[in-house]
Amino acid sequence: MSAFSKYRHAFLVGLQSNLVYRWNFAIRAAFSLFHLVVIFVLWGAAFQGKTQIGSFDLGQTMTYFIMILMLQFFIGAFSEDYQISEEIRNGLINQFLLKPINYFLYRISIFCAARLVSGLLALIPLALILPLLSHHLTLPWDPWRLALGLPAMAMSALIQFTIAYCFGLLTFWFLEIQSFIILSFAIETLLGGQVFPLDLMPSWLFEISKYLPYYYQMYFPVSIFTGRLNDPMQALAGLGIQAFWVVVLLGCANLLWKRGLRRHTAVGG
Amino acid sequence: MKLLGYIRLWLACARYSVMRTMMFRFDTLMWALVELFWMSVNILTIEVIYSHTDSIAGWNEYEMLLLVGTAMIMQRLFMGFFWSNLFELGRNVRTGHFDFFLAQPGNPLFMVSTRKLDIDGLANVFVAASVVVFAAHKLDLHPGFLDIALYVVLLAIGLVIHYSTMVLVVSLTFWIVKTEGLEGTYFTMYEFSRLPRQAFKGVNNFVFVYALPVVIVSNAPARTLLHGPQPDLMLWLFGAAAAWFSLAVFVFNRGLRRYASASS
Repeated sequence: MSAFSKYRHAFLVGLQSNLVYRWNFAIRAAFSLFHLVVIFVLWGAAFQGKTQIGSFDLGQTMTYFIMILMLQFFIGAFSEDYQISEEIRNGLINQFLLKPINYFLYRISIFCAARLVSGLLALIPLALILPLLSHHLTLPWDPWRLALGLPAMAMSALIQFTIAYCFGLLTFWFLEIQSFIILSFAIETLLGGQVFPLDLMPSWLFEISKYLPYYYQMYFPVSIFTGRLNDPMQALAGLGIQAFWVVVLLGCANLLWKRGLRRHTAVGG
Repeated sequence: MKLLGYIRLWLACARYSVMRTMMFRFDTLMWALVELFWMSVNILTIEVIYSHTDSIAGWNEYEMLLLVGTAMIMQRLFMGFFWSNLFELGRNVRTGHFDFFLAQPGNPLFMVSTRKLDIDGLANVFVAASVVVFAAHKLDLHPGFLDIALYVVLLAIGLVIHYSTMVLVVSLTFWIVKTEGLEGTYFTMYEFSRLPRQAFKGVNNFVFVYALPVVIVSNAPARTLLHGPQPDLMLWLFGAAAAWFSLAVFVFNRGLRRYASASS
C-alpha cells in the first residue's frame, strides 16, 4: 500500500466517524451561537456613541468575530488532545507501534477529515443566519487576501493540531492532562485573538504577540481575510514567521514522541 | 433525617474532600491556576475594551470590573460547591452508578449535590472577591456592614439560581441519555452574567434578562453594592431563585421516576 493511500483510508474512516457525531456538533454550534450573542451585546454596547474602536467600525469588528467562529470549525483543534491522550492511556497506541504507520500522519488525517465535516456543517447554520447578519458583515475582496490567506489558514490548522498533539503526548509523563489542556486553551484563546482583536491591545504587546505561535493559529489568517492586516508584504513576512513556528512545533512533537515512547510500556498478550 | 443530620453529613463530605485535596496537591494547584488564568482573561477583556472607550451601557471601567468580579465570585462558589457533583450526576445516570445515591438514607438531590467540595474553586473565591474590593476602592465606595451583609445574601441567592439551572440541565439526562457535552451549557449561559443589564436590547433583553435569570443574577448584587439597596432588584432576584429552584426540584423528581437504572 502506498504511503498516500494508507492515510487516505484513515481520512475516509475519520469522515465517517465524524458524520456519526452530529449531536456533538449541534451542541457546539449552539454554544457558538450564544457566544456570538454575548459578543454582539458587549461590543454593541461598547460602540454606543462611537463609530470606531481601534480604527474599525462595529461592522468590521463583528465580521472579525464571525470569521473567527467560522474558522474554528474549519481549523480549530478541540478534542484532538483528549483523543490522543485517551489512546495512549488505554493502550490503543500500541497497535501503531507494530505497524508501518506514522502516528502523527494518522492523527492528522483524521483531524483533516473531522474539520472538513465540522466546517461544512457549520456553513448550514451560518447560511440560515446570514440574512440577519449581512448588514453587519464587511469583507474586503482583494485577490491577494485569498492567495495569502488560504496558506495562512492551512498552516494555522497545522499549528493548532500540532499543539494539541504535543499536549496529548504529555500523557506519557502525566496521568491527568486535562488541567494542562485547559490552561493552554486559555492562553491560546487569549493570544490567538479569540477574546478580542489583538490589534486593540497596547501596541508594544501587539508587537510581541506577533512573534508568538498563538498569533498564527487564528488571528493571522482572520486579519488577512477581514482587512485588519492590509499590507501584502507584511502578510508575506507573517507567513515566514508562521512557517518557522510550524517547523519548531513539528520538531517538538517529534521529540516528545521519541522521548515519550522510551517511557511507554505496553502491557498485554 | 433532620437538618442537623444533613449538616453533619455535609461536614463529613467536606472533611473527606479536604483530605483528598491534600493527597493530590499538584492537581489542585494546577486547577487553581487554570481558574485564575480564565479569570484574568475576563479582566483583560474589560481592560482592553476600556482602553478604547469610557463606558459600556453606562457602566464605567471600575463599575464593570465590580460586576465581573461579582459574577466570578458566584461562579467560583458554584464550581467549588456543586460543579463536579452535578457534572457526575449526568454521568452516573448514564452509567447506572446513580443507584448508589438512591440507596443512601437521605434526600437524593441533597446526596448527589454535596458529595464533594473542590477546594481549588473555593480558593479562587478570594481572588474574585479581591477584584470586587479593588473595584470598590477605585470607585471610592464605602459600604457599611449592612450593605456588605446584603451583598453576601444576594450572592447566596444567586448561587441558588446557578445551582437550579444546572440541576435542570443535568436532569435532562433522565430523558435523553446522550447528553454528553450539554454540561457546557452552564459556562455558555453564565457568560451573560458578566454583562450589564443595560446593554441588552430587544429580543436579547427579553430572553436573557427577563426569561432567563443569567443577567439579573450578577447585576442585582453588583447594583446593590454600587448604589445601595434596590428593593425591586432584590425582589426580582429572590423571586427568580424561588421559581427556578422549585422548577429544578420538580423536574429532578420527575426524572427520578423515569430513572430505570442501567445495571444488568
